[in-house]
Amino acid sequence: MNALQARLVQLANQAGRVASLATPSDPRSGSFDDSARARLRVLLAQRHHAACKDLPGVAIAPGVQLVETVDTVPLSGAELASGRLAIDPIGFSQLVFLDTETTGLAGGTGTKAFVVGLATLAPPQVRIRQWLLTRMAGEGALLHFVAEALPPDPVLVTYNGKSYDLPLLRTRYRMNRLREPFGDARHLDLLHPVRRRYRGIWPNCRLTTVETQLLGTPRVGDLPGSEAPAAWRRFLATGETDGVRRVLTHNARDLSSLAQVLCALNALD
Amino acid sequence: MPAMDRFAPAETSSPASAMTHWIKQIQARYEDRITGHLVLPARLGEYAEIPGSLPAGLHSALAARGIRQLYLHQRQAWDAATEGRHVVIATPTASGKTLCYNLPVMDAVLREQAKALYLFPTKALAQDQLAELLALNQAGSLGVRAATFDGDTPSDVRTAVRLAGDIVVSNPDMLHQGMLPHHTKWARLFESLRYVVIDEVHSYRGIFGSHLANVLRRLKRICAFYGSDPVFILCSATIGNPRQHAEALIGAPVEAITTSGAPQGERHVLLWNPPVVNRELGIRASARSQVTRLARMAIRARLKALVFAPSRLMVEVITKYLKDVFDADPRKPARIHAYRGGYLPLTRRATEQAMRAGCLDGIVSTSALELGVDIGALDVALLCGYPGSIAGCWQRLGRAGRRQQPSLGILVASSQPLDQYVVQHPDFFTSASPEHARIAPDQPLILLDHIRCAAFELPFVAGERFGELDASDYLAVLAEAGILHAEEGRYDWIADSYPAQAVNLRSVADGNFVVIDRTEGKRIVLAEVDYASAALTLYEGAIYMVQSQPFQVEELDWVGRKAYVTRTRADYYTDAIDYTKLKVLARFAGSKAGHGTCYHGEVHVVRHVAGYKKIRYYSHENIGYGPVNLPDQDLHTTSVWWQLSQDVLLAHFADPGAALDAFQGASHAVHTVATLAMMAEGRDLARTIASGQAGSEQGGGVEREASAREIGVRDAWGSAPGSAPEIFAPALHLYDPYPGGMGLSEPLFQRQRELVARARALVEDCTCTHGCPSCVGPVMGEPPEPSRSPKIQALRILDLLAAP
Ligand SMILES: [Zn+2]
Repeated sequence: MNALQARLVQLANQAGRVASLATPSDPRSGSFDDSARARLRVLLAQRHHAACKDLPGVAIAPGVQLVETVDTVPLSGAELASGRLAIDPIGFSQLVFLDTETTGLAGGTGTKAFVVGLATLAPPQVRIRQWLLTRMAGEGALLHFVAEALPPDPVLVTYNGKSYDLPLLRTRYRMNRLREPFGDARHLDLLHPVRRRYRGIWPNCRLTTVETQLLGTPRVGDLPGSEAPAAWRRFLATGETDGVRRVLTHNARDLSSLAQVLCALNALD
Repeated sequence: MPAMDRFAPAETSSPASAMTHWIKQIQARYEDRITGHLVLPARLGEYAEIPGSLPAGLHSALAARGIRQLYLHQRQAWDAATEGRHVVIATPTASGKTLCYNLPVMDAVLREQAKALYLFPTKALAQDQLAELLALNQAGSLGVRAATFDGDTPSDVRTAVRLAGDIVVSNPDMLHQGMLPHHTKWARLFESLRYVVIDEVHSYRGIFGSHLANVLRRLKRICAFYGSDPVFILCSATIGNPRQHAEALIGAPVEAITTSGAPQGERHVLLWNPPVVNRELGIRASARSQVTRLARMAIRARLKALVFAPSRLMVEVITKYLKDVFDADPRKPARIHAYRGGYLPLTRRATEQAMRAGCLDGIVSTSALELGVDIGALDVALLCGYPGSIAGCWQRLGRAGRRQQPSLGILVASSQPLDQYVVQHPDFFTSASPEHARIAPDQPLILLDHIRCAAFELPFVAGERFGELDASDYLAVLAEAGILHAEEGRYDWIADSYPAQAVNLRSVADGNFVVIDRTEGKRIVLAEVDYASAALTLYEGAIYMVQSQPFQVEELDWVGRKAYVTRTRADYYTDAIDYTKLKVLARFAGSKAGHGTCYHGEVHVVRHVAGYKKIRYYSHENIGYGPVNLPDQDLHTTSVWWQLSQDVLLAHFADPGAALDAFQGASHAVHTVATLAMMAEGRDLARTIASGQAGSEQGGGVEREASAREIGVRDAWGSAPGSAPEIFAPALHLYDPYPGGMGLSEPLFQRQRELVARARALVEDCTCTHGCPSCVGPVMGEPPEPSRSPKIQALRILDLLAAP
């Protein structure tokens, strides 16, 4: 720390700041001279590079990792093609399940999506693609890949996406000066039919509750969504990949659940 | 402010009217209470043409409202704004300031679909201005979409305002917490933002102003992102430095318009000191009783009167007294209304309308009316107590004034030192230009907060400036705290939080204490107290005053930052016994001050609260002590100080104790005049006497307010056994009680001669015999001999510090 930085920390403490600024555990805040700092930076970059090799999927651009998986789910095309949600006019190829993992729940322009997951259907299979941000600088590229991956005239399927995921992504496109790809795409936010039907009946309408109550498949060993931001920060700071892997698993699980919930709701009378 | 260069001759030459008659009457009757009478001559209007390029609809809207020409200052504002120059309009109350900005804004909206953002310091003012805009809009069927955006705006309306508002009327807090952190939702506004209007800029000074300057730095950063570069139109009431203040707020050159073209009737100002009722104790009749009497007389003389009271409670008391006289018959419509914060907006609107329509004879108000709320023309403004600044005085006095007829303002002094100084020095009123509004936008903690918020809004790139400032050290601190992520020369927000929520525009840091009333099982938040003053005001047992109502602190949760209080009927107040250690870290500049020296620089202050005294009201006798057990407060800040050497002091004082007592008395007076000069509130400037050699490792301290003799000798004169004897050279310090300072020490240093001279006059001219709370602070008992009275002793110090 130089003199001004030390002074700022001191003044903040004198002002009774509740959250202190000093984090001496961070090796970078020690008394390094410039050359030591530069050397450390190289080492950190190397470690980060090595960490990315530990991740599933492939690096498709600097700072962007693409993870593709296929999940087999218990649903049939016939179930979707008939039923009360009247989605038959929509070809399966247009359905896009979307879920993001974000750096925080506070919202606003400082919150990023560090995982964007898209799923498409080929019953009984769900094809899942997840773009993981491995460096801040990769955000523009990540958003670009997501836009490219959307089919023409998509129908988005989300859980609370109308008030959370979509506005957040729109903000990210704007922050990166990119055209946002969703336009006025049709959007099925499954939270709304679930709420209409089960509010006051179930303890809450979270996706995990829907899985337990409607699909009968409670999650075990899942990383709680609230721990995702910390997992990603840890990955950026230390290269530790365990947390991020669990976030990816969690996100994939959310996506295939979405497909099943859509099907289950459709089958209800 | 109009020039005011003379005292009125004994007889005024204005045409006979109810007003002049009444003034003569009270002058004759209360000659001994009137310490000054100033007259501002009547002024004719200066006019200019309505710009020919104005859209026809706007033209007819003006015509429909009876406006066929503009005042000169309105036209000047139009010219500057439409030519793309930032402009500040600083003209008196009721000179038609709103048209200065509404005209260019409406024009840009109508002709170019441009957008504008209006900022007002309060929601009530925003509502008023919206009504004004809508009236103009309606008069010309213009179709301009204007809406307020504040904490009360329902969420469905918010979306409409964001997408379709041409003029968004809001406040700095909302811009800071609601708009900038969500700027992508406001993209349409920011992309086409042509004008930013900031009214009442005189109210953005000190901490609030320093925050606003940084919010505007953030706003400009966001505008740059969206490719807009708005012109700022600012309005101010009377202050000494409108242009400089506006430039400090927006960080760019600003053109100032300071002469009003509106006509103005003759104006009289009386300075009024209530009669002394107890000479020994220096007690005068209350300002309240005098103001009530004057209001009664004015209303009986068929004049419309407005009373400014210092607190909400006082508003209620004076209103009751006046209603007892004028509204005794409940079947008749009320002639007297109270007006203050805490009333429902509807009630306040009704009062404003009744006053505008001439249905009321008297309004009793807090400073809520000081800001630009339109209540039409009044004859008499009565100020119950000095509002703390010359500029504040004029803002209130300016409420009385008609275009053609004479008006009167009366400043009635309370027994407070500032009040007494002002009414006993009428020349101060005539010669002093209004105070300068000051801000310290680069205050390190405020800056750190806003750089944090700015990084949330848009990543910083290495080398990017924040305002004019190099932000790199701040960014490094935030990165090391894990709040920002540094990568390839860019700083991105990474924390899981929303920083604007934690930044309060009215305090230096987020460590504020909340005062909670739990009388009879309630849980009501009464006030917020900043961290720095909590230890001095919220210790368990303290009497804490809210709106002149006493509460007692029952429990202080230091870690949770909460103080629980209950209502009390105690007949005493409490005063902390605190020891301040002050060490000079660096001197920025110094100069001779009489036989001593004056410096400003950086200091380290450590305050220890040892206990508190219980002091009975009126008699001021000490009726007991209580213990306090709180952590020491330490503080790095800036200070201005005056110092006398050991040789000089020993030549003039019998012993060090006497010298320290004298320093205490002098510091009380210097603090009073410095507060006055800085347009500061008393708590914005702290004082202490440091003993010992300035710049040495040891900085002794003495007890605030108490006799130095009780404890000071040990600290100041004696030395700890075994250590080298210290040189006795006490210093009188005035410092900013905020970590990092608020930039007051330098301007105080620049005016050091003037401050000493004024402090001297304050003490010398005080009507007391030995010294009193108005001049040298509370005095205990009779002095042993007249030559050793606290008053004489303090004057000796001030004489030594005054330039020969
Ligand atoms: Zn006195």
